[in-house]
Amino acid sequence: MNTFRLILPILSLLGGIGFAQQVTPPQKEEPVINVPIQVTTAENTSLVKVNVTNQPWSHRIPWQKTSPGARRGLGVLLEGNRILVTAQMVGDATYIELEQAESGRKLTAKMKAVDYEANLALLEPADAPADFFAGLKPLSIVTTAKIGDKLETWQLGRVGDLIITPLEINKVLVTRYALETSLFLTYETVGIIRTEANSFTLPVVKDGKLAGLLLRYDSKNQTGVVLPGPIIEHFLTDVADGEYQGFASLGVEYQTTLDEQFREYLGMSKDTPGVYISTVAKDGSAQSLGVKEGDIILEMNGKKIDSRGDYKDPLYGTLNMSHIVRGNSYVGENLKIKVLREGKEVELSGKLTRKNPKDFLVWPYLFDRGSNYLIMGGLVFQDLSMPYLQSFGEDWETSAPLRLVFTAKHTDEYEKQGKRKLVILAAALPTRTTQGYERVGGSIVTKVNGLDINDMSDLDKAFKEPKDGLHTIELEDFPKILFIDAITAESDNLKLLNGAFRIGSLKKIE
Amino acid sequence: MTKLLFLSALTFTAMFSLCGKEAKPAASVATPAVAGQPDDWEGIVRIEASFLLPDYRTPWQGGRPSSGSGTGWMVGKNKFITNAHVVSNSTKLVIRTMNDPEPHEARIVFIAHDCDLAMIEAVDPKFAEPLKPLKLDGIPKLNTEVIVVGYPVGGDRMSVTRGVVSRVDFQSYSHSGIDQHLTVQVDAAINPGNSGGPVLQNGKVVGVAFQGYSGAVAQNVGYIIPVPVIERFLKDVSDGEYDHYMDLAITDFPIENPAQIKALGLENDGVGVMISNVESAGAAGGLIEIGDVILSIDGNTVYNNGLIRVDGDMIDMNEIVERKFAGDKIEVEILRKGEKKKVELTLKRFLPYLTLGEQYNERPRYVLYAGLLFQPMNRNLMDAHGIRDPLVNYVFDNYLTKEIYKERPEVVVLTTILPDKVNSFLVGYQQSIVDEVNGVKIKTLKDVAEALKIKEGDGKFVVIKLLEKNRPLVLKREFSDVAHPRIMQTYEVSADSYLGDE
Repeated sequence: MNTFRLILPILSLLGGIGFAQQVTPPQKEEPVINVPIQVTTAENTSLVKVNVTNQPWSHRIPWQKTSPGARRGLGVLLEGNRILVTAQMVGDATYIELEQAESGRKLTAKMKAVDYEANLALLEPADAPADFFAGLKPLSIVTTAKIGDKLETWQLGRVGDLIITPLEINKVLVTRYALETSLFLTYETVGIIRTEANSFTLPVVKDGKLAGLLLRYDSKNQTGVVLPGPIIEHFLTDVADGEYQGFASLGVEYQTTLDEQFREYLGMSKDTPGVYISTVAKDGSAQSLGVKEGDIILEMNGKKIDSRGDYKDPLYGTLNMSHIVRGNSYVGENLKIKVLREGKEVELSGKLTRKNPKDFLVWPYLFDRGSNYLIMGGLVFQDLSMPYLQSFGEDWETSAPLRLVFTAKHTDEYEKQGKRKLVILAAALPTRTTQGYERVGGSIVTKVNGLDINDMSDLDKAFKEPKDGLHTIELEDFPKILFIDAITAESDNLKLLNGAFRIGSLKKIE
Repeated sequence: MTKLLFLSALTFTAMFSLCGKEAKPAASVATPAVAGQPDDWEGIVRIEASFLLPDYRTPWQGGRPSSGSGTGWMVGKNKFITNAHVVSNSTKLVIRTMNDPEPHEARIVFIAHDCDLAMIEAVDPKFAEPLKPLKLDGIPKLNTEVIVVGYPVGGDRMSVTRGVVSRVDFQSYSHSGIDQHLTVQVDAAINPGNSGGPVLQNGKVVGVAFQGYSGAVAQNVGYIIPVPVIERFLKDVSDGEYDHYMDLAITDFPIENPAQIKALGLENDGVGVMISNVESAGAAGGLIEIGDVILSIDGNTVYNNGLIRVDGDMIDMNEIVERKFAGDKIEVEILRKGEKKKVELTLKRFLPYLTLGEQYNERPRYVLYAGLLFQPMNRNLMDAHGIRDPLVNYVFDNYLTKEIYKERPEVVVLTTILPDKVNSFLVGYQQSIVDEVNGVKIKTLKDVAEALKIKEGDGKFVVIKLLEKNRPLVLKREFSDVAHPRIMQTYEVSADSYLGDE
């Protein structure tokens, strides 16, 4: 019987969800009636327009890029002719240009530093700026904004006039930025924002200093989410020492201990606070500190953790404990954790770390680069990545090949086997080599020509050693074994390079 | 032979009419035989079924009462053939003939869900005495005329539609959703209510109308169960028991690529199909390996596309297995690493695949404790609860292919939590797979029932570990034991478990 469970029609892939589509700029909506919008104008002193052309890679047709798109936003001038923008704005950029609001003068810029998790990027002029920044004053960062503080958003009008709208911080909490993986400090603000052109990620200012960047605005509830000054400061400090390390993470999943029966089972007394550690991520800070599943975290850096996983922050009040690691500490700094283990308090300490995205078996995100891939005679191999799975649409968790979705969450076994990346057979292009294999795809490659495939370079090497003029490809799933003719494959490779597919390169291994 | 279907792109509707959807004239007056109505057809009867559809979300209840009607025909003395789906889950069956005003109570004699056939009989055999059984013919030829006789929607009396044989092919049988058998496609109108009715050619039965395409997908496509399948059913039950179809439980992969021919050491003569999966617990387990090439089956040459030639027509090689019975042997000639070998397989069923199919005439099994409802995973359960949890879906999808059935013959799912103060902190953990209860690894639903009684450690707590969920669910026994009867009373639960023993 022929069961083709994993059918990957590679011709209908162009609607993939890239980073760009997920970005929600403040939404334009009719102004709410009867509510006066308090807007004042002034002279622009610190903002430049930033025009970005971006072109993400296609995650399902890995040799192609999607069609270029444009983003226009504002950048904040910082000391040293550096321009701060969100990473969303410049992700997958092919061309970045600064524009003086009033005169319309332009200057090409390039990326100096970027952190996609913290959603921040720093630009610098690509050419000598001459007097481009003359007349502009760099902003400094304020990190002390708190609940109840009055802030302003700055926007630029058509001729460069500064439009100021008031906001007020009404909550400080830890939420997602742009990537699903990262939780960071945010301010939630109330206040009506009328959006002008160039309104992508607006600066939020307190007393003439930069207090944050507006990430999202919900016009229905008139609430905004602001990436706050402390995170910006953290990013800039990290950049300043020349070697960017990123934000540390604890690497645990935890459960609240509000359930009295559960607390009693865990041996927690009535007034023991703390949260139950349900997962300790591989290669995370917590693992290196010796935190174990089943531990109850009682304290972090001397701060008591309550049953919900919150601590009392001196500035913000009740806040999720992840901020202790994320916002208040740097990679390489010491972290002290007190846990309850088998009824006894245990003190743990060690250095905070961050797992680099390239060290994950499955790429968590891909910006400014496409997926590694290799094409042999029409069979398309690529690295398994979250963007690849997410390209199956909103409900990718059930619409992408289920086994790959499962695998992406269960990488331990593969890591034990020595795999560095998971190479998948993604699809088969119609060639002579792939006759009969049209509907094959979506399976992890285990061996090629008898050699273990632990990453794309292994695959590249293995294809140099055909046996008896044949390549043998072993897959984890249906149909388990594929054979292709080595000579036919080479001649098809040439056709793919020069023929209708116009594939620029048969492989990308970075 | 039953086939494992992992993907069915087709939308079938079983041609079984549910009452209430059609206008029902009240009159049921004895009428003399209509002129031209052949008496031979008096054995083609209308079957009215009342049934209870079990609700897997409230498995302790009897189910939702419903009713429907289909067609049946007499194959032998007081023995009527119809579709399994006409009489599945039935609590009461009534037979009505064309010209007899009396309803006749009937009962199921044999039911075969894997090929959607059933045999029923009237409780009082006397009624059937004057009726003439219909005779079976063979597989009708393409483009020959057939008529479909039965009691479809649109009226109460017998209906006849006419068409030609459009195709003879293997098809999925939608009743179970996991079985494929030989099927004949006709373009005669087959409508709800025709189910189970005979398809005739020259006055003899060439098939049983059973399913069609729904919606706008295709037009004039009706499917009938052909005579080989009916005959196999009749032969199977002749010993008083239905033994089901047998299964090789292998997956083949067509050989179209010249590199396959070379690599597998085949002659370039179109013979042989590659095996890409073998269920180790199936009939071919340990005897046929992945990468083997099947050259022939019981002496019939198997071609590169997995077909064999039967009576001049190309047909799936599984047709050989289809016509065999439990314990029968078949001889398979294979090529393994360039060497020809003969393998003798003893046919048996491959039971784990049933989990993936619709189940009928089964009272849902469950265990309820302190509001936590545990049920074994199967297709009915997945559909009824609309389970979206990626892990449960993965396990269901890969139950066979990753041989999950070996570790967990029954995958037990915590499907629902009936809220109460004792479990209010556990809400959110529904639709999870139960891995351990009180330290006992859960392999079947029975394990849950037994393990709940075990007092682990000091016995103060009931501890339920869920697969890949991040914390154990903990109930303090002194609370949960009290809550249990309270919850049953509040939610009108009559019994706290049904394990299938009765």
